[in-house]
Amino acid sequence: MAQRVLITGQIGTGKTVLSQLFGLQITRDAQEKGVNLQYVHINCRECKGSLFLILQQTISRFHPHFPKRGYSAEEILHVLVQVLDEQNLYLILTLDELDALIRNEGSAPLYNLTRIQEDRPNAPRRLSLICVLREIEYLDSLDPSARSTLQHNIIHLSEYSKAQLLDILGDRVNLAFRVGAVSGDVLGLIAGLASSEGGDARYGIELLWRAGKYADVSQLVEVSAECVRMAASSVYPTVSKDVISSLGLHEKLFLLGVARRFKQTGAVQMSIGDAEEAYAVVCEEYGERKLGHTQVWNYVKDLSAVGVIESRLSGVGQRGKTTMISLSRVPASDLERELIKVLSVGGN
Amino acid sequence: MAIEEVLSSKGRVKILRILTEIGELNISEIARRAGLNYATTNRHLGVLEEHGLVRHKRFGRIRIFRFNEANPKAELIGRLMELWKQTDKSKQSVR
Repeated sequence: MAQRVLITGQIGTGKTVLSQLFGLQITRDAQEKGVNLQYVHINCRECKGSLFLILQQTISRFHPHFPKRGYSAEEILHVLVQVLDEQNLYLILTLDELDALIRNEGSAPLYNLTRIQEDRPNAPRRLSLICVLREIEYLDSLDPSARSTLQHNIIHLSEYSKAQLLDILGDRVNLAFRVGAVSGDVLGLIAGLASSEGGDARYGIELLWRAGKYADVSQLVEVSAECVRMAASSVYPTVSKDVISSLGLHEKLFLLGVARRFKQTGAVQMSIGDAEEAYAVVCEEYGERKLGHTQVWNYVKDLSAVGVIESRLSGVGQRGKTTMISLSRVPASDLERELIKVLSVGGN
Repeated sequence: MAIEEVLSSKGRVKILRILTEIGELNISEIARRAGLNYATTNRHLGVLEEHGLVRHKRFGRIRIFRFNEANPKAELIGRLMELWKQTDKSKQSVR
């Protein structure tokens, strides 16, 4: 029996981990019962919000050399069902960061994915969906028929309380630190900081990791409160390391250009035109060909959806109509440093 | 068909080697890797399929060819290719 589940919750509330853990356990249970079931986890943002790429990546789990082009998203959806039928396989497909798919392609992909069974009423229902979404409001932009298929099973993960964060961080401390290296007070400080950032466990874990690194560098036996404060000033909740490293090469280059321009001018905001000029300079430095305006504009939309930058349409006081960009909370120099580091490791 | 007829073509041997190495591929990709054009690749694959050395599966418009391990002749060819590769490797490491 195919199911559709929607998991919602703010950043760092465990949506991805919950679905992955569920996938692991249910695959194990199915194996014990002799049911051929597989769990596939796809991040829609990494697939650039394209249903075609999402399905292509899914098929490649079963046929690693399946051709990468030459057919449409609808065709590949039918191929997927055919593969599942042939291998007598049941699939749980998780679409993480579903907002990227909705933003890019609207209602059609979800409609097609959820209605695939209607063409084959008596065949086994092989495809189940887990959709992971930050804010349920995104569903409002869908048309009613696509929305109705997702509104039955909703799991909302609320933000972690300070006590829960303490539990999570304590667990990580046991795994990664020498006994006694992190005192209860220090742990409480980190949990408090993470709790004030909307119960973001990922932020808390990154703080802990950085504080540990600072303690290592300063050759301390114990992680001090000062290490945590140093870590807190270098980790920004909206821009964590994995967000930066998951960006494409040109997104990184564009962001680097923006960061540098802000550092030079000290302005509050800049127009997309200025940002493009700065991006062109960075492209030259890294020996890359600059991408066109439409692509850059798409990057601005994506980056502001992730929360790295903020963008808004220019209003009174600016001639014409342009997109204005500003950095949310991160100091430009820190963003620049982080990007240069990531770019020097391996670019994309 | 006699063995020399199947193996006398450089293109067919290339295709067999690619399929033993990769497992399964679509025609365009086989053609690209073998450095042949689409029509020639298609013709060679037709001959190989006729002899049961490869088989294909259809996914809508896409045909995916794979080495037919169930055929004893195909299995022998697969082993020959593998042995050939290993011998080449060991020769290189001696040098």
